Amino acid sequence: MTSTSTVGPGGTTEQVAPPPQRPPATPRRRRPGTLRRHAWQYVFLAPMLLLFVAFTLWPMVASWWYSFFDWDGVGPATEWVGFANFTEVLTSGRFWHAFRNSFLFSLVAICVEMPLALLVAILLNSRRLRGRNLYRLLLFLPVVTTTAVVGIVFAVLLDPAGGFINELLRSTGLVDSPVTFLSESSALPTVMAIDVWKGFGITLVYWLAALQTVPEDLYEASKVDGANGPQTLRHVTIPVIAPIGVVILLLTFQRSMNPFDLVQAMTQAGPNYATDVVATYIYRYAFNPELNAPRYGFACAAGVVFGVITLVMTALQGPLLRRQYLKGSR
Amino acid sequence: MMEPELTRRSLLRILGVGAAATAVGGLTTACNLVGSSDKPSGDKVRIKVMLVPDPTGASQFYREQFDRFEEKNPDIEVQIIENPTDQQVNAIELSFQQGDPPDVFRAQDNGFDRIFDRGWIAPLDQYVTDEFTSRFPEGSLDPATSGLHRDGKLYTLPLVWGKWSVVRFLLVNNTAAKVGGVTTAPKTWEELEQAAAAITRAGGGRTFGFAGLWSKSNLARMFQHTAGPSSIDNGIDLRTGRAAINHPSLAAAVDLLTRMHAAKTMTPGWESWTDASKVHTAFAKGELAMFLAAPYQINEVRKLNPQLDMTIAAVPVPAAGRGGYSGQTASFSPLWSMSAQSKHPEQAWKVMDFLASKDFHRAYYEKFGTLTALESAWQDKAASNADQKAIMDIAAETVRLIPNPVLASKGGKELMSAIRGKQDLQWSEIALPAILRNQPFDRAAADLNAKLDAFIDEQAKAISAKGTPASRADLTFPTWNPLQPFNPSQK
Repeated sequence: MTSTSTVGPGGTTEQVAPPPQRPPATPRRRRPGTLRRHAWQYVFLAPMLLLFVAFTLWPMVASWWYSFFDWDGVGPATEWVGFANFTEVLTSGRFWHAFRNSFLFSLVAICVEMPLALLVAILLNSRRLRGRNLYRLLLFLPVVTTTAVVGIVFAVLLDPAGGFINELLRSTGLVDSPVTFLSESSALPTVMAIDVWKGFGITLVYWLAALQTVPEDLYEASKVDGANGPQTLRHVTIPVIAPIGVVILLLTFQRSMNPFDLVQAMTQAGPNYATDVVATYIYRYAFNPELNAPRYGFACAAGVVFGVITLVMTALQGPLLRRQYLKGSR
Repeated sequence: MMEPELTRRSLLRILGVGAAATAVGGLTTACNLVGSSDKPSGDKVRIKVMLVPDPTGASQFYREQFDRFEEKNPDIEVQIIENPTDQQVNAIELSFQQGDPPDVFRAQDNGFDRIFDRGWIAPLDQYVTDEFTSRFPEGSLDPATSGLHRDGKLYTLPLVWGKWSVVRFLLVNNTAAKVGGVTTAPKTWEELEQAAAAITRAGGGRTFGFAGLWSKSNLARMFQHTAGPSSIDNGIDLRTGRAAINHPSLAAAVDLLTRMHAAKTMTPGWESWTDASKVHTAFAKGELAMFLAAPYQINEVRKLNPQLDMTIAAVPVPAAGRGGYSGQTASFSPLWSMSAQSKHPEQAWKVMDFLASKDFHRAYYEKFGTLTALESAWQDKAASNADQKAIMDIAAETVRLIPNPVLASKGGKELMSAIRGKQDLQWSEIALPAILRNQPFDRAAADLNAKLDAFIDEQAKAISAKGTPASRADLTFPTWNPLQPFNPSQK
């Protein structure tokens, strides 16, 4: 440490203690805020956010607003009706019928499509299976096929009068008279089966991705421990893929609640509303050219009610799924 | 001079800014959907015509016709915008909302009134000349009965012959019918039922006696029209102004279909048919022997099988005798309209005028076989065409003018609009379940009838409260006899 001399008033020299040392002065730099620090990330997010706000968030918020009006979709909504549209939706037998059908679509997807896809995924995940990529491709093809085309083609195939499937059934002697696959009583199960077939490939891919996450050494360890196939599946595979299974469950549930394109192409919600789902119910009120004036306000209310119920149903699965998720990830 | 170095970071920045700009641009464009300009190319004025490519081949036909129009009117360029039939009205409404409406558009029946009620249609009276009026049959442009006028003004022009939209037939595939020993077209419901059963029995699962497209419950309507007042289409007996869903003629029509469905004499799966092409194909192939048809369906069947041995007959009537006719509510149905917001109304009218010209109507008739609104364009040729002669003869036999509350008063128009818009009070909601489940129609009809009556009272009050006087009197035409043509001066 060095000392400095100063000249006093009498010309005497005094020893002065040096001031406490400070770090050398540097140009002051503000710490950038979170916004500035991540500016470029936000720039890259901006396109997606803009599109999300414009085409998802805004229509959603707008539909909540419009659901309080008797509005035909043209000009500003001015005729405020409060909760009248909601009351009408909630007391409409047709709405609950459509809701039940939508729910059944989901139930079938979860209870039939998901387990079936898991089984097939396990088979296709086996390295011993030859040509597994071809099978994967074939099972995925329906997913990338246009739904409207699928609907129309199946309607032709299933036609009781001259349709290929009925011809096949009759020529092989399996049935005496044509099967009306799209009659009032059988149309819903038929469309559900086609929906499962159509969506099977995507669920299968989800499961295949999940199966890739199971470490090979776990299988080897279980083999060393003498576990057989079912035991390995139960004690190794399922627990490891369970957290991803939770996500697959939610995705399948959401996807299957809205089979609008398939239903519209195959049956237009008929016969006698047998295949009516909430989406076709809403479509009828919003876009039916037969109506003198569309009821957008009412259709919005139906959409809001359906959205809320779906949200509640998803949320109800939360605790159960979270427990499963945590259990699986331990 | 050194070239600036393009680092990974700067490249990403450029890409990010570019993507954001694209998104903003995309959004801007999205907010101006259907944003094509109507600016003239060169000295031409562009007139936008919004139509539907219906029937098959119409796209090419309209383009060819407008090309001819453009040759004669070199200052006008016609831009065609096509929409699917079911979405045409929605598309027109959207284009008006976005401030980019077509100058001329096709809007039929209820669709026309929907757009008219919004004030988007221009009156045409100022353009109409004596020569224009003389193209149409005498008296058919009377504002009280034309169907083209609203509030006494001409707002729309027709395309098809007035009875074209109303008349219905029984088509018989003679070859298929002979399988069941049926050699003449059934004249009564009972004969039809027996013939259908015989053909189906003999058809061995390959040929069926009868079927039809349920769409809009037309199948039951066509039978009901022969048994009682056709105003029951809307659930109302216009003689009394009261709901008539429980009218015996409707119950009888539903019962007839219930019996045939239960006896499996109808093509299996008919109830799930969603478009008429299935009916046409089955009929043309001989898998279906009989069905009730609109005139255009005769042409569709002929296109599929020009050599088909087919009988065109009147829709069978109850054995007890005819109780009504197919109801024609006006001389014409609305079709072509002109936008009230057109920036080039003179040129738009020229297009409208062309669409109502004899040349256009003759071309349309020759291309599609449709009997058009200008009878002079086809009358001579149609008389020598067996199918078209049958259409005209049967129309004369089975179609009668009936009262039209929509044209008679504003209150009537409002009430009918409310009734038609009330989906869950349409009798088709209870008719199809009765047919498919073999259940009695009567009780459900009585319940729905009471609801419809209550709704009419409620609506009359609500409409009156909004300033348009409306009451049951607007729906009542006590002197109307369903077996006689109605004259609007009768009321």
